[in-house]
Amino acid sequence: MNCEVCQLKELDVEYFEIREVLRCILHTIFFHRALGLVRPKDVDLTLFEITYVQCGDAELEKKVDDKIDQFIDRVEKHPNKKNQICLSFFEVKNKQATWFTHKVEHLYWEQWYINLNVAHHPKPHSGKSHHSKLVLDPGESASDEGNARRATLESSLHEVLFQIIKFVNEKKDHIPPIPNMEGVSFPYEITISSSSDSAFGMDMFKRMLQTGHPTMLS
Amino acid sequence: MELQYNNEHGRNDQIVSQFLLKTLHIVLESRVPSLRPPPSPPRSSSFVKKSDKWFNLALGDRPTAFTFAHRDPMIIDIILVQEMGQNQSGYGALVETVIERWAVQYEYSRASQSQSSESYKKTYKKSIILLRSLYSMMRLLPAYRAYRTKAKGKPCDFDITYKVSSFSVPFTRSEEQVMKLYTFFPVEAQHGHLSVSVKYRESLSDFNLETSATFPPEIITDYVGSPATDPFRAFPPVPQRPHSWTSGGPFTKNQSPPAYHSSSGRFDLSYSPSPSYDVYSQRTRQQSHHSFDDSPPFSPSPPMYLSSGGNYIQSRLRSETAPVSIPNPLFTRHLSPNLSDPNRHSLPPLSPRSTRYEPSSHESSPAIRSLKKSEMARVGDLSSASGSGSANHYSSSHKVSRDNKDDSGRFSGLLSSSGSPRIGFSRSSSRLSLQDELDDIDFSCPFIVDDVDTCDFPVSQSGAGGKQGKKSQDAAVGALVRMLRTAPPLRQDSSCCSDHVEAQSNASGLFMSRKTSDALEELKAYTGIKHLILSKSKDTL
Repeated sequence: MNCEVCQLKELDVEYFEIREVLRCILHTIFFHRALGLVRPKDVDLTLFEITYVQCGDAELEKKVDDKIDQFIDRVEKHPNKKNQICLSFFEVKNKQATWFTHKVEHLYWEQWYINLNVAHHPKPHSGKSHHSKLVLDPGESASDEGNARRATLESSLHEVLFQIIKFVNEKKDHIPPIPNMEGVSFPYEITISSSSDSAFGMDMFKRMLQTGHPTMLS
Repeated sequence: MELQYNNEHGRNDQIVSQFLLKTLHIVLESRVPSLRPPPSPPRSSSFVKKSDKWFNLALGDRPTAFTFAHRDPMIIDIILVQEMGQNQSGYGALVETVIERWAVQYEYSRASQSQSSESYKKTYKKSIILLRSLYSMMRLLPAYRAYRTKAKGKPCDFDITYKVSSFSVPFTRSEEQVMKLYTFFPVEAQHGHLSVSVKYRESLSDFNLETSATFPPEIITDYVGSPATDPFRAFPPVPQRPHSWTSGGPFTKNQSPPAYHSSSGRFDLSYSPSPSYDVYSQRTRQQSHHSFDDSPPFSPSPPMYLSSGGNYIQSRLRSETAPVSIPNPLFTRHLSPNLSDPNRHSLPPLSPRSTRYEPSSHESSPAIRSLKKSEMARVGDLSSASGSGSANHYSSSHKVSRDNKDDSGRFSGLLSSSGSPRIGFSRSSSRLSLQDELDDIDFSCPFIVDDVDTCDFPVSQSGAGGKQGKKSQDAAVGALVRMLRTAPPLRQDSSCCSDHVEAQSNASGLFMSRKTSDALEELKAYTGIKHLILSKSKDTL
């Protein structure tokens, strides 16, 4: 069983946009992977003119929000870094004693990497931040720049959603049989990592060994 | 039926058919606002109709029912309708532009037959994913914003309709240039693959799709009586289907009234966005089609042109006919004060008579108008007495007019002032029934008189005038006055009523021999009555 990996296009987001953007992306992925019976729920983003679809599973919504909170905490603690959320779907295999883990083995068959550049530190700045590519001047030009940046982000987010749709359509053979007919059918996990995190590379390495295939990193 | 689906082939066919239906459902429910079912009361979360469980995507009730052969491609056109080129009178031609074209097809491929084909289970699983991505994609394409704008329910200067067929006229080169193609990855099936693709306009900014804050449908609806003035005034017949969306030429912005023709066909069907509309449209448009359940599809069907139609088109069409009877609003508006929603409740059937009053209605005083109102109410009662169903309209108009689900094309047409011949028929029939009633009491309808001066009949107010008139004239007017005497606000004293009862009993005898001299005397009497009423109204004003 091969593990399909999708590296989503990197997005430059502001601090206050993280939640919406992540919700949009994660729920879109879940909607295409919750192959049990769902009643789709349309959600409009407030910051952008984009509508995404949720599975309508309240439990999933809560889990996603919790993870996003964790991510935001992490961003606060580790500003000015590239941050990544990895959504992995796996199969649960029987216990096998391996020299990596004694737990039940997770056989990952799909991984999604959401790459975010958080542009601003949550605390107000008087000057520019390291990751900000824009020079913010007070006055109208600031709002113009902000509008341009937001429009770029909106179109990038659109592209990410198109990317997801394209991926889910092209790669279907690797999906295991559906174990659970309601809600999110497959077991999943969401992990958060940052570029400078030492565990970042370790996580990737671990997964490489577990799946037995090299993961594709862009 | 069950036997058919026990084998692999049957299952495959079933999946393909249901896939087409589900695709149609997804596309229409996110593009055509009027097809959205009204919000149903919240059910238990576990309840999902069996037919809705297909592909594990519960969408609710299907917007409409279609039958098609699963071997034919299904082309769904999403059409934007706008009014362009408004001339001086404020009316322009309706222009239709295809903003999205969905092509869904089960493509047979001989080669796959020799190979080990996909089991239907895998096909089903893959089509689940495809439909999920289709559902998401519907919300990402530019046309979704147009749908949302329209779905808000506020007056818009555009409308969204659709057309389903199994063939399509190709776009012109200029149209192709502004359209983008997106093809979903096909799903392998037993003897081929399911493919879904869409050509869509990248940008809808050319259309300036904004809600129109200045659009005043309320005024225009007062012209509800307009088509009624000439019930057989032609709305052009619905054109042949193959032409219904080429309309004699490729889609251009300069498309002229031929596009309007098709919209009139739509208008016929589209009264209001309610689920019952679908029942109506299906009855009229799909006489030969049945709803598609689990039974296998039938032979290829001709393209079906259904529309959503909105208030916009309705009112625009009404306004198109407005010049016919401009005075009517003054007349009809006042005649329906009981009806709380002026947009819907004018009483058109009496306007044929009012047409003949056109010159006079200008001069009608408020008193006369109020007379007419009570008269109409009475007339309505009479007509109902005669058994004409349409007249019930008058007496219970405020209820019926809200009844969007009226299956009879007549009434919904009356209210929406659609110009279909069916409406004309009913209205003429109502008029005839009124005539019959009046004939029964041996009295020719006074309103048919063309003379300017002969407008109204006295009610009890002018009952005194009637008394003063000659007995023969009393007899002539007695029958009609009898109707009016019981109008509550206008009844003054019972003494004059008894006079009229007497007069009426003589009426039948007197009517045996009517001559020109009698008619002239009658005319003089009417003139006198008119003057009397005018003078009285001046007093009251």
